[in-house]
Amino acid sequence: MKTNDLILQTVTKVCAFVIILFSISIFLGGHYSPGGGFVGGLMTSCAIVLLLLAYDLKTVAALLPIDYKIMIACGLLISASTVAGSWLFHAPLMTHAYSYFNLPILGKTSLHTAVLFDLGVYLVVIGVTMTIIQTIGESE
Amino acid sequence: MAFQILLNVVLAFTWMFLKTSYTSSTFFVGYLLGLLIIFAFRNCFSGRFYLIRAYAVFRLFLIFIKELILANIAVLKVVLKPKLDMRPGIFAMQTVLEKDWEITVLANLITLTPGTLVVDVSDDNKTLYIHAVDIEDAEDVIQGIKSTFENAILEVSR
Repeated sequence: MKTNDLILQTVTKVCAFVIILFSISIFLGGHYSPGGGFVGGLMTSCAIVLLLLAYDLKTVAALLPIDYKIMIACGLLISASTVAGSWLFHAPLMTHAYSYFNLPILGKTSLHTAVLFDLGVYLVVIGVTMTIIQTIGESE
Repeated sequence: MAFQILLNVVLAFTWMFLKTSYTSSTFFVGYLLGLLIIFAFRNCFSGRFYLIRAYAVFRLFLIFIKELILANIAVLKVVLKPKLDMRPGIFAMQTVLEKDWEITVLANLITLTPGTLVVDVSDDNKTLYIHAVDIEDAEDVIQGIKSTFENAILEVSR
């Protein structure tokens, strides 16, 4: 017997957005507070797993047409190029730089290249988690 | 569309609560992040991604401004012309628009544009009766209206 998942699906539709926003908050706050790319990525994939629980693999694949293997590659590329970027300035490998910028609307903001490295980690974590879960889910 | 905007605002407020910073720049960042999330999940919603529609509204506004300027120049030419050789007339135009506000917007746009004026709307909301200052070829005018205004309005409401 197939039960009606209406309540689960409706709640998921609202909750998934809040979870992803929280994961971005954790991801961006990693420099000053607990969190960072790893936890943020895990929590984002949690939101997608919640979608997978409420719907099925095919629906979620239609909702988010993302190839997670490519996502892993993109994450690795971003992290590796951030690391390699220090070569351009003749600095030791993995030297990070930061500065303060006066952005419009936002005001004084500190931008750090470590965030880009973290972004790579974030994408790889999402990609790996989702690849594992999807591969297990698809096999009969 | 309204639901997506509402969700975006709610997400922006959620972001402010997460950051415990209640400034307009935090709201802005939250709104941008919410926009990003809604874009990623755009297939979840029944309508299109709402920025596309917002862009269509903006384009309709630009078309309106452009046609308004052209209309006034055209009227200026008619007024300043020494010879009174214009041929006024009324013609009917079928419209594919259905909702009340769409027809109202179309009628107002036609009225504000070069040499045309909506006189009446038929009872079944299917035909507009338009008065033209200089009616050379009604078919041309209808095609022009259809290709600019009607398409732009359809782009917004579709």
